[in-house]
Amino acid sequence: MNKVTNINHAIVKERPVTTLDQKPARAEGRKDPWSQLLVKVGKDQDRKAYHSLFEHFAPQLKYYAMANGMASHAEELVQEVFVSIWRRACLYDWQKAAASTWIFTIARNQRIDMLRKMRRTSAEMPVETEDLWQIPGEDDNQPITSLHRLMSERRVRESLSQLPEDQITVIAKVYMEQKSHQMVADELNIPLGTVKSRVRLALSKLKVILQDQNV
Amino acid sequence: MTRHHPDSLSLMEYSAGNLSEPHALCIRLHLDKCTHCRSRVDTLDSLGAVMMEQQPKVSVSETMFDDILAKIDSSPAPELPAKAVPKISLLQKLLGEDINDLPWKRQLGDVSVLDITEKFPGQKEQVVLQKLVAGGKAPAHTHRGIETTIVLQGAFSDQKGVFNQWDFVVLTDQDEHKPVAVGCEDCITLSVLSAPVKLTGTFTRMLNPFIR
Repeated sequence: MNKVTNINHAIVKERPVTTLDQKPARAEGRKDPWSQLLVKVGKDQDRKAYHSLFEHFAPQLKYYAMANGMASHAEELVQEVFVSIWRRACLYDWQKAAASTWIFTIARNQRIDMLRKMRRTSAEMPVETEDLWQIPGEDDNQPITSLHRLMSERRVRESLSQLPEDQITVIAKVYMEQKSHQMVADELNIPLGTVKSRVRLALSKLKVILQDQNV
Repeated sequence: MTRHHPDSLSLMEYSAGNLSEPHALCIRLHLDKCTHCRSRVDTLDSLGAVMMEQQPKVSVSETMFDDILAKIDSSPAPELPAKAVPKISLLQKLLGEDINDLPWKRQLGDVSVLDITEKFPGQKEQVVLQKLVAGGKAPAHTHRGIETTIVLQGAFSDQKGVFNQWDFVVLTDQDEHKPVAVGCEDCITLSVLSAPVKLTGTFTRMLNPFIR
């Protein structure tokens, strides 16, 4: 088991995610190492690949759970996310999303789902979490060019490295601590308008903002 | 073709999983029909992944991986949503029947409403379906609080432009408008009211954002 794990680590080390940034545009259609591992889990129920994904993502997911106030359920969340990864890996399509993006959306949905169950009233909810928040690549009506999807994570990583700290801080609070823009403003003691303009500046760099829209 | 999209900040709150269920519903209904916004959300989901990657890591208990393996070995995998099976639409699932056959409550003149807030137990917002008959006009009105609206069927126009099916619009108390249903279909919208109005004597009048 140990030997096998080491081999896997060696593979991962040989091709770390960050080196993808240096590759020419034509190489963008290739899977990053985590996506390759996830495909193996889906296709062959490969437990070594699954373990490598666990070693890499579990500590990130635990921090994610703790940062957004689920400290007492952090390990439970990580477990649930990984059980879910195992069960739906066969639905994973590397052309639709990088493994890390796919796993992030599963973690987000799992968190929402756990919170919904905790405060569930007697009434049943007619809409499930996944009806409202979609996992990329699952049940899409129309296919989107895979190149675009694959590029998006690469582009995000590049753009993010150029953003000033104050913009990243605001985004981190929204994504990691589940704070609304108003809560971020209150916490940092800055006006709501400043928070929003920092987010807009960051998002325009990430090209999320529509060019024809003045929002 | 939708022309009116959610703004980037709302999409980011959606991607982060911070929106209330009714607001997430409005965004999701729009995303189902708008490839442009879907790719914006793809980028935002990637932003979430990269943010998570750049945060500190916290080690998990040593037995966790074995616990997970034990769990996946002991319990049979639940049925996964099969891609091939055509699913009923989200709206059908929510409403239970065709949108035109709902127990609409006729309001003033051309306007009917249906409050579906009880479909979202535990949520603070008020959720209302509104129908303006084809060619019908709603009286001029303003809005209380922030009202997020998505057009589910037909189209309406006001001084700001034409809002077609799956268009997304946010109105505040600054916006006064006088919508007219255009085209040959009844115009049906779904609205989420962030600050529920204080209900007084004129309950139904206030309930209806078209005629408030």
